[in-house]
Amino acid sequence: MNENYVAGFDACPTWSPVLGYAGAAICIIFANWGAAVGTWKCGLGLCGMGINHPNGIIKNLIGIIMAGVLGIFGLIVAIILGGGITGPDENGMATYSQFNGWSDLAAGVCCGATCLAAGYATGIAGETSILAVGVRAMGNKHRQSRGAPGGAGDDFDEGDASKLYIAGVTILSFAGALGLYGFIVALIIASTPGYYCSAD
Amino acid sequence: MSSSSCTGEYCNAGWSEVLTSMSPYGWGSMGLAFGLSLSVIGAAWGIFLTGSSLVGAAVKSPRIRSKNLISVIFCEATAIYGVIMAIVLNGLMKKPEGGIENGSFTDEWNWSSFYFAGYGVFSSGLSVGLTNVASGVAVGIAGSSCALADAQDSSLFVKILIVEIFASALGIFGIIVGIIQSNSCQFPYDVAN
Repeated sequence: MNENYVAGFDACPTWSPVLGYAGAAICIIFANWGAAVGTWKCGLGLCGMGINHPNGIIKNLIGIIMAGVLGIFGLIVAIILGGGITGPDENGMATYSQFNGWSDLAAGVCCGATCLAAGYATGIAGETSILAVGVRAMGNKHRQSRGAPGGAGDDFDEGDASKLYIAGVTILSFAGALGLYGFIVALIIASTPGYYCSAD
Repeated sequence: MSSSSCTGEYCNAGWSEVLTSMSPYGWGSMGLAFGLSLSVIGAAWGIFLTGSSLVGAAVKSPRIRSKNLISVIFCEATAIYGVIMAIVLNGLMKKPEGGIENGSFTDEWNWSSFYFAGYGVFSSGLSVGLTNVASGVAVGIAGSSCALADAQDSSLFVKILIVEIFASALGIFGIIVGIIQSNSCQFPYDVAN
């Protein structure tokens, strides 16, 4: 063997589970961090909207649900990755190869970082869109109350604020799809067959 | 070896030892992960930049809603470039079947192809990922100003859309270079390679 390469380059070193477990940990940590940011910012927007437009609260929970789904993606991938890490066999030899370790780390980083980014996008765009729906609905109610001929009732509808709601949900769907891309790629990586060392 | 290299027991033999001490499977997998993650970070950044401006401007001028969703679609396309590259690179990563005896590589293992493939996949992933961060942010900011300008004067929409098209071309450059770089990468998977 060429002596420029480092000696002891093992296919199944004892430290390769570090990589696998780091992948599972990064996946769950980052994905739920993104879900938390999405829930936080959409929640603040929802509360701000709900002051003047309480009828729209149930409809606008969609942003918080889509943020929560990102956390579930991270949970699923972390469970799948953690279940594929094998320990040493009865002779004490490691069975989990570096090939598996690095690919599990890549799968964890893929799902975690993409769900983190999707969570930030969901939160920031979702907060603005929920607040915008509230402002539009409040403006429509004021226009109706000014135009109403004899006396003001209190069942003005929100007018065309539902069209603005549809635009907001479209943007939230595109943002949530980013987390789905990372989830799919992580599952593809985790399902390619790995290499396990066994005693010959 | 130059006479100034240190020879104590904690010194390494230079960059060759440092760079070859990480397994090429590691280089390759990290390139794959960075390719997808950075692409999606760029896409998410662009989506929240353009989406929040779009919906905010649509409060006072609702007619801009549907047309300006195309900016969001441009940002999503940069994420799809990352997904395409990740699936291509995942297909290149091959497990070492037939090349391992008793836990270490055989003497006929094709080390040069192994290292070349690892470095190539790493750089391919970084090419796609970093260019898509730039492309996503550029499309986001251009799309945000497109929505605001369209709310003021609807004849400006097509003109600013041209700026967005140039911005999304940056992502296409990245994936072209990534595909070219990863074409010649072959991980050896049996001793005949």
